[in-house]
Amino acid sequence: MSARIKDAEKKRVLDGAARQRRARKALEALEQDNFHDDPHADLVMSKKLPKFQDSIKSGKEKKGKRKGAEYFRAKYRKNFQQLLEEDKQQPNYVSAAAPPPKNPVRHFCAVCGNFSQYSCTACGTRYCRVRCLRTHQDTRCLKWTA
Amino acid sequence: MANTTVVLDNGAYTAKVGLANEDEPQVIPNCIMKAKSERRRVFVGNQIDECRDTSALYYILCFQRGYLLNWDTQKTVWDHIFSKDGIGCSLENRSIVITEPQMNFHSVQEAMLEMLFEEYRVAGLYKTTSAELAAFNYVADSEERTTMQSLNCIIIDVGYSFTHVVPFVLGRRVLEGIRRIDVGGKALTNHLKELISYRHLNVMDESHVVNQIKEDVCFVAEDFKNAMRVHECDKKRKEIAVDYVLPDFTTCKRGYIRMPGQPREEEEHQQMVPLCNERFTVPELLFNPSDIGIQQVGIPEAVVDALKACPWEAHRELLLNILIVGGSAQFPGFLPRLKRDLRSLVPDDLEVSLICPEDPVRYAWYGGKEVATSVNFEEFVYTREEYDEYGIHGLHQR
Repeated sequence: MSARIKDAEKKRVLDGAARQRRARKALEALEQDNFHDDPHADLVMSKKLPKFQDSIKSGKEKKGKRKGAEYFRAKYRKNFQQLLEEDKQQPNYVSAAAPPPKNPVRHFCAVCGNFSQYSCTACGTRYCRVRCLRTHQDTRCLKWTA
Repeated sequence: MANTTVVLDNGAYTAKVGLANEDEPQVIPNCIMKAKSERRRVFVGNQIDECRDTSALYYILCFQRGYLLNWDTQKTVWDHIFSKDGIGCSLENRSIVITEPQMNFHSVQEAMLEMLFEEYRVAGLYKTTSAELAAFNYVADSEERTTMQSLNCIIIDVGYSFTHVVPFVLGRRVLEGIRRIDVGGKALTNHLKELISYRHLNVMDESHVVNQIKEDVCFVAEDFKNAMRVHECDKKRKEIAVDYVLPDFTTCKRGYIRMPGQPREEEEHQQMVPLCNERFTVPELLFNPSDIGIQQVGIPEAVVDALKACPWEAHRELLLNILIVGGSAQFPGFLPRLKRDLRSLVPDDLEVSLICPEDPVRYAWYGGKEVATSVNFEEFVYTREEYDEYGIHGLHQR
């Protein structure tokens, strides 16, 4: 078997479903509040720390009808998907979405941002010239894929 | 005389809040933030001004996808806002004008009512949307038109989580005509973050700093193809290419654009990001969300689509009164571009006229102030007595 064919077989090519999954992930990333983890996550609160703000008076007030944040978290713990499913208004969130575009979609080079004419054979990412393709293959292509 | 009403335009990124007799609202970040440098405390709302080092700031937001879902966070922020450190008075026995997103979910409305009436003991509330308040302010501002009942206009609210196009015919929202585009300030910041991280240096953790970069350098290209041509041409490139000096939080707290030809000494040691087409391809997403694969039309086409749901008799006036509000409306060049795109989409016998107020962030709050100080405000208010009797259902039957 020729070396070229061997090479081609070695190359992993993403199928359509995997490409769509990637695109969906990229869109979900745009909704993220933070990319990194909570910087205080490993923090252990010191019990010795005195709390100055709690005077006796405010303690008495709190015993009244106030329910506190915990109560609200417990009662209204629905996430976005659940809310969407139970929404019965007409018109609603789904029907208010802007329609899909009629014009052909423009493509941009993932590396430099110029208009792009070509796409990577392995993963389908757009690029505009050989130089950008090389950068893409060195840094991105199939490297951070799940 | 009852206590002065509080007006709260409760946005996903900032809350605009103040008493109705004040001249302008405070703009307070509607979130809790944690800094890497100060591990002993968190920053609620505008306490962030006390933070010296805002690198790798971690956000805990009240809103998810534009809707108020994290109630414990919201309560912490509200507690801060309605304290001495915030507006300086509590909500107890006051009426409140409060905004919610378009098409708000029933359960979220219920939670808001319960929170305000039972936790904060408000005397009454008027629940509305920021678009309606903006429309109200538009009526109050205009000279010739005096009544809300005759208003035909389109409000474009370019927010943090999404953008809404809301048509009003005879002073009422046309619910069928409301269009939502899932691009707002947050998506733009995140997109810019990804671009810079891939092309220059990793800033994925720096939402706060990148948000400032976005505010400082981004603009809307009036002619996108032409701007791209400028970017590709080596000679003209310097017209839009800039170097952005990143903050180091010791000598400079906020980044800035380096002035070409005027090197400052201290800049030698500072980190810099060269920016060129990022400056206009990022806000471009508002006009073409499909550029990053969001299967929705941009603002101009969404306006045209919204128009289709309105009676044709109103079209002429709707296009004459297009008002743009919201934080992301502040990109330079936004208005000319939108006008240009709209002009090419609507019939040429109809005139197109757009207005972007000087302060699109606070504009809706001023509308709330107008509502709260108007003579028939009492009629709008849902009182605590009514709430105790009918709960949330009473509000929906009004």
